[in-house]
Amino acid sequence: MFGIDLGKYRTLVVSIFLFLLFDLGVLVLNFVISSQIAHDAEAVNLAGRQRMLSQRTAKAALQIEKQAASDTPDRKLPAELANAAEIFDRTLRAFMQGGETVSGSGSPLALAPLDDAEAQAILQRAAAVWTPYRQAMQAALAPGANADAVAALVQRAEAANLELLGLMNDLTTRMESIAASKAKNLRMVQVGGITLATINFVIILVHFIGHLRRADRDLEHARKQTDDILKTTQEGLFLLDPDYRIGSQHSRALGGMLGSEKPGGASLIDLLRPAVSQKTLDTAREYIDLLLKHDVKERLVASLNPLDRVEINLSSAPGDTSQRYLKFAFNRVTENKRVTHLLVTANDITKRVELERDLKESEERSASQMSMLVELLRVDPAAMQEFLSGAGSALEHMNSLLKDQTEGREAHSTRINGIYRVAHRLKGDAAALGLTSLAANVHGLESLLTELRERATLTGENFLPVTVRVKSLFADLESIQNVVARVAQMRSTVLVEAPRPAVDADAQALAFVQQWRAFAHQIAQRRHKQVELSYGGLDLAELPAVQRETILSVVNQFIRNAIVHGIETPDERRLRGKPVAGRLAVYVMRNEEGGLALSFRDDGQGISVEGIRQAALKSGRLAPERAHTATDRELIGLIFEPGLSTQGSADEDAGRGAGLDAVKEMVVGQGGRIRIGTTRGEYCHFRVALPAPAEQPDVAAAQPANQEIQT
Amino acid sequence: MKLLIVDDSNIIRSKIARALGAYGLEVVGLAANGKDAVARAAATRPDVVTMDLTMPEMDGIECIREIRKLRPKVQILVVSALADKATAIQALKEGAQGFLCKPFTEQELTEAIGELIEEAQNG
Repeated sequence: MFGIDLGKYRTLVVSIFLFLLFDLGVLVLNFVISSQIAHDAEAVNLAGRQRMLSQRTAKAALQIEKQAASDTPDRKLPAELANAAEIFDRTLRAFMQGGETVSGSGSPLALAPLDDAEAQAILQRAAAVWTPYRQAMQAALAPGANADAVAALVQRAEAANLELLGLMNDLTTRMESIAASKAKNLRMVQVGGITLATINFVIILVHFIGHLRRADRDLEHARKQTDDILKTTQEGLFLLDPDYRIGSQHSRALGGMLGSEKPGGASLIDLLRPAVSQKTLDTAREYIDLLLKHDVKERLVASLNPLDRVEINLSSAPGDTSQRYLKFAFNRVTENKRVTHLLVTANDITKRVELERDLKESEERSASQMSMLVELLRVDPAAMQEFLSGAGSALEHMNSLLKDQTEGREAHSTRINGIYRVAHRLKGDAAALGLTSLAANVHGLESLLTELRERATLTGENFLPVTVRVKSLFADLESIQNVVARVAQMRSTVLVEAPRPAVDADAQALAFVQQWRAFAHQIAQRRHKQVELSYGGLDLAELPAVQRETILSVVNQFIRNAIVHGIETPDERRLRGKPVAGRLAVYVMRNEEGGLALSFRDDGQGISVEGIRQAALKSGRLAPERAHTATDRELIGLIFEPGLSTQGSADEDAGRGAGLDAVKEMVVGQGGRIRIGTTRGEYCHFRVALPAPAEQPDVAAAQPANQEIQT
Repeated sequence: MKLLIVDDSNIIRSKIARALGAYGLEVVGLAANGKDAVARAAATRPDVVTMDLTMPEMDGIECIREIRKLRPKVQILVVSALADKATAIQALKEGAQGFLCKPFTEQELTEAIGELIEEAQNG
């Protein structure tokens, strides 16, 4: 309306406008008709005056006649008659044609011609009577008029008097009737207007009461929905004003989150004060101000929210506190493009935080296990086995010391020192093997023990962290054992998949094979080990005696060497995921040059380069500085040198360092060559090539120990 | 739309210039410190500025204050590592409109700038 958007008030404004229009219409009509009535009343008065004037003229005429005979005639009478006649005449004409007359008070008065036909008819008849009467008057009043003229006037007056009176009376009555009719119309208009206005008012009332009731119902419905949302949402929802106060309308969950029964009206900053640092609190205040009072992009500053993770400790009962993590998110609420409040959403992200923490721990654990795995792969399996066994005992010892409940300073001191000694040894062993993560954990235990040593007073409770740490060491040890077992299993799988020469069942029955097998079992038995020997290839009986003897002798030496140094005890093999019985695989075939190729492979622990280094140092074969710079290849080559043995003490099977040097001597003596392949913990493989018997020894080709080192 | 890039790291400046140049902005200046940035802002009259906070000569906060005096309607995006939220908030109070945390992806950068440009065009 008028270019103004009235919105929901449009109907109301239209209704009020109509109401005023009706009222105004009634008022205008009232005014118009009232003025007409006033005018009519004036006319009725004038009509009544005409009646009176008709009588006055007749009376004056009679009086003039009567006084004509007297000596002192009234001089006023002719003037009075003339005046009355003049007024009557002007008024009559004014009624008939419109014109000016004089009012009762003598002032000029303009009249419109009467628009009523009946009244005009009366006036016409009156004029017909009046005109001769008026002429008789003029004749009688003319200067020098005689008595005849007066007599004629009186005669005319007597004739016209009653008729004029009657006509003027009719005119008055008629005009009163017209005025009454108009008054009636006015009443009707008033009643109609007021009725319309009342109807309009009633419509407005009904419409708006209905509208208000609907609005109330909608409002109630909306309020209920809001209440339901605020009651049921798990989020803390509230409005925050520029004074950091929480609005009175907030979700029910908020109280529980903030540990406040009535957070409405409280200051968010005050509620958070116990939970966060002063710096975070100050930053939070600045951040809220930034959103409320500064021209920044809400989305582009969200990452600066200092309350995106708040740790809150809630106590439901004395001594019963729970740790929760809350995330507060802030959104602007604007009114007329001005930020008035912030809508704050608080979420309990405890589960997410815990999940993240678990994930992180799991990643760390996994990384630690991976590093442990790498560490373990570097460690010599036998040394590892020895370490694991020792570490297990060490931890059991610590455990038993911790179980001792004896109180008193001396008992505690003895316990601390006892555990410390064991821990220190364990740390040293772990570090020596390169198990740095385990060593670090044991170091942590040492630190705890150092702290306890420095305490003035000690109770059994102070040992709790030590017990926890020892338990974690048990767990570490178990992890290591699991990993070791898995590594061994993997190695075993690789071995299974490695290609091997075909084994001929008939070959197993050959006499020399039976001999090797018996020899192997004999040595194994003395060493408390188990072995299985398989053979594939030529029947040695077909070979020239020199070659046959060489092969028999070399294989015997390899069998002895493999069982003593390579094959592990059944327990060790089980731990490494290998079959309990060690496997010796022998294969002899002719090579392309007509010579012989011997393959001897065992699935034991391979050659210990470190063991050779130590033995070479001990025997003085290598100077200390050379021993440390020698390559694996050079060191493995030393096993063919006389007098070098890794066996601690000599026995019937090994230890004097005379064995492989004899093999080398035989093979090289016949112009052959030896290759070694070994992987620590997995296998050792000797490949011997002997030239055809007729050939002369080739010195250049007879370089010993041409090893392939596979690690 | 003219862009001024303020960062003491050459790598970051190049990264922003490459990404926002491809996005359609006209790179009118590169500044490695606050003082240079103010001089370039006066000379090139940029519409948008990316602003590092920790810089030699004049730090980002003071630089924002100076540039805001020269160009009251310029849109400023703070691009900084989130070591100290309070400092970043202070920078925004001095007249920057947005904050982007280092390290950022090209998409994050263009989205943030897109939002500021919209503001500049509407304003």
